Amino acid sequence: MNTSVMPAASEQQILEIINRFQGKPGALLGILETVQESNPHKYLPEETLQLISKHTGTPLSRIYSLATFYSFFNLQPQGEHIILVCRGTACHTRGSRVLLEDLSCLLDGSAFLETGENTFTTKDKKFTIKTVACFGQCALAPVVSIDGVIYSRMTTARMKGIIEKLAKGGKKHE
Amino acid sequence: MEQTTVKKEEGLVTGKVAAGTPKGVATCSITVNGKSYYVPKGKTILEAVSSLGYSIPTLCHLPEVCSNASCGVCVVEVKGAKSLLRSCVTKVTEGMDIQLASHRVLAARRTNVELLLANHPKDCLSCLRNQNCELQSIASLLGIESIRFTQTRKKPFPLDTTSEALVRDPNKCILCGRCVAVCSEIQGVNAIDIMGRGTKSQVATFFFKGLGNVACTNCGQCALVCPTAAIVEKDHTAEVWKALQDPKKVVVVQTAPAIRVGLGEAMGMEWGALVTGKMVAALRRLGFSKVFDTQFTADLTIMEEGHELIQRLTNGGNLPMITSCSPGWIKFIEHFYPKSLSHVSTCKSPQQMFGAVAKTYYAEKMGIDPRDMVVVSIMPCTAKKYEAKRPEMMGAFHYWQARLNLLEKDKFYDVDYALTTRELARMLKQASIKFDALEEEEFDDPLGRSTGAAVIFGATGGVMEAALRTAYEVVTKKHLPSVEFQAVRGLEGIKTAEVDLNGTKLKVAVAHTLKNARTLLEQIEKGESPYTFIEIMTCPGGCLGGGGQPIPTDTEIRKKRAESIYREDSRKGIRKSHENPAIQQLYKEFLKEPLSHVSHELLHTHYKERGVY
Repeated sequence: MNTSVMPAASEQQILEIINRFQGKPGALLGILETVQESNPHKYLPEETLQLISKHTGTPLSRIYSLATFYSFFNLQPQGEHIILVCRGTACHTRGSRVLLEDLSCLLDGSAFLETGENTFTTKDKKFTIKTVACFGQCALAPVVSIDGVIYSRMTTARMKGIIEKLAKGGKKHE
Repeated sequence: MEQTTVKKEEGLVTGKVAAGTPKGVATCSITVNGKSYYVPKGKTILEAVSSLGYSIPTLCHLPEVCSNASCGVCVVEVKGAKSLLRSCVTKVTEGMDIQLASHRVLAARRTNVELLLANHPKDCLSCLRNQNCELQSIASLLGIESIRFTQTRKKPFPLDTTSEALVRDPNKCILCGRCVAVCSEIQGVNAIDIMGRGTKSQVATFFFKGLGNVACTNCGQCALVCPTAAIVEKDHTAEVWKALQDPKKVVVVQTAPAIRVGLGEAMGMEWGALVTGKMVAALRRLGFSKVFDTQFTADLTIMEEGHELIQRLTNGGNLPMITSCSPGWIKFIEHFYPKSLSHVSTCKSPQQMFGAVAKTYYAEKMGIDPRDMVVVSIMPCTAKKYEAKRPEMMGAFHYWQARLNLLEKDKFYDVDYALTTRELARMLKQASIKFDALEEEEFDDPLGRSTGAAVIFGATGGVMEAALRTAYEVVTKKHLPSVEFQAVRGLEGIKTAEVDLNGTKLKVAVAHTLKNARTLLEQIEKGESPYTFIEIMTCPGGCLGGGGQPIPTDTEIRKKRAESIYREDSRKGIRKSHENPAIQQLYKEFLKEPLSHVSHELLHTHYKERGVY
């Protein structure tokens, strides 16, 4: 398994992205989003934020403020597969807490539940778990999204099956 | 207040016009607590009612800098409005009916402050800002007797102790945003911002590196505007107490010009009280063996810097030359404009010149082993703490190294401890000194002798004026008819003047605050600077408004302190640095001449390119 970190966006790529957003309102958010997407590990490393600051003239503190405000932005390398567990009220009442605990246990990350953080990435960078507030799919609770696909009425057994498949490098979805 | 009757279309309305409303200014009629008034249009409710004899409590509001409307303390009730309105950002409108102290208003203010207090540590008695805390005052003012809300923060935030100058305690922060605004809007430094979201929000630096590891200039304006003790100076009073009680040490003190116009405030006197003599008496009572004056080396700075300017002018050196007294400014240019570093005078600041001279010239003269000497400086400044610990500030050690066969382990700084005005005030209180009752005393000789030119270093434009007084006489060899250069005085952001030195026209500029410094630096980097000599001071108003000065410090207080500075100058017998007899003696006995070899060794320095991180 190859866990080496792939190179982040180059200064040239970042400049191109900045130019694409030139003059558009809220450009910085768009720039951060596009740069994060272009990163193989879907995150914003420190050096990348420094380049964005240098070329947009936005202070580092401002950029970091923005990047820490929106949970969409990642400051740590993300796993190959991203699992979002809804912790909204409806999902909570339908057992999303237990689902999250089981999932964390399955991926050796139970400790993260105690930290108050809302995200955890496995050591092998295979999986990232994140909690979100609501998908707006409350009727289908509990809801989990795996690599962008929403699964309704999720159970631990079903989740375990999907994860085992993904861990083996199998097909992305059921 | 003037009682007037004004004819209005809808009939005869009786009301009071707000005091100080100039004639001809558009007004609107408002009702405050049931009484009618006319107030100027375009004002906020907070501003409008302040001239009517009311004072709405505020917490996050910082006049002239920011109104984040984040604290909710200034809420008022306006008839017809759906909710209570924040008076700091709501403008008055015609016919507005305002209640400043209704039950609903008072209850809301209490609730808002109680919410802030829920997560605020309850360690007031042992807090550095005890009795000088706006949150504490507001809680008392609003009559808060209990806090109904429980703490939501599970784990305390770690302290930021990475800086030599400042300590941040995010647990005490109420997220008012004043420090962020001052750092960005006044200084243009942007070292801090609000990071995270919800209960995890906190003021912090890029990647939580800490103030000591980012492009922070240590100016301390954040500490000056902080309503609580979330940002304070790094306290060094314990170290100074220890040195004072050590019989083996010779502890001497130097005081910056701005201390004599600030210290009185911290000791309960009026804004800008001029307390030079009392300050000297108090320092003697604290136990310093000699009470000296940074103004002595301010005069020395003028000698060195003045001659450096003349040398640059005659030898085609890099111009404009920029002053180097303000350590916040030095770190600023090292971070943000390193390409222009060759424009900065190589002179050390007066604080550092003092340390170097005290531990060489004075130690030698008095037969004191420099290793036993402790130099304490009292500064209006937090950046001076950082400056004192710059590795290049060991001029005296290098001077003695060969002469006394000193080893690396004997290394000592020229200045051992830099205390702020606030720290000195704390020491005086602890030492049971009745400050206002003290008889005035004089500084010790020879490092306590100074001229009027040195006093004005404490105000923006002062270094420029002092330099011009000397440069004029040195260059023209003529007597300067009037020593006062009014054009470089005052609180305008950037001041410019043209001086005629024997036919050579010298264009000069003076800037205070780093945002204004940026404007002058951009000109230099574009090759468009019309100036020969520039003075830059980090803090608004110059050192008298420094980050180590008593809290509060606002524009009115800065003006009062400046008046005292110029009063002290005008009553000094000698008002030009080159006429200071103690300086003349120092050159005769030790330095030989300005820019001499010894001068370069002890009084000049170099800078470092740092970059932004």
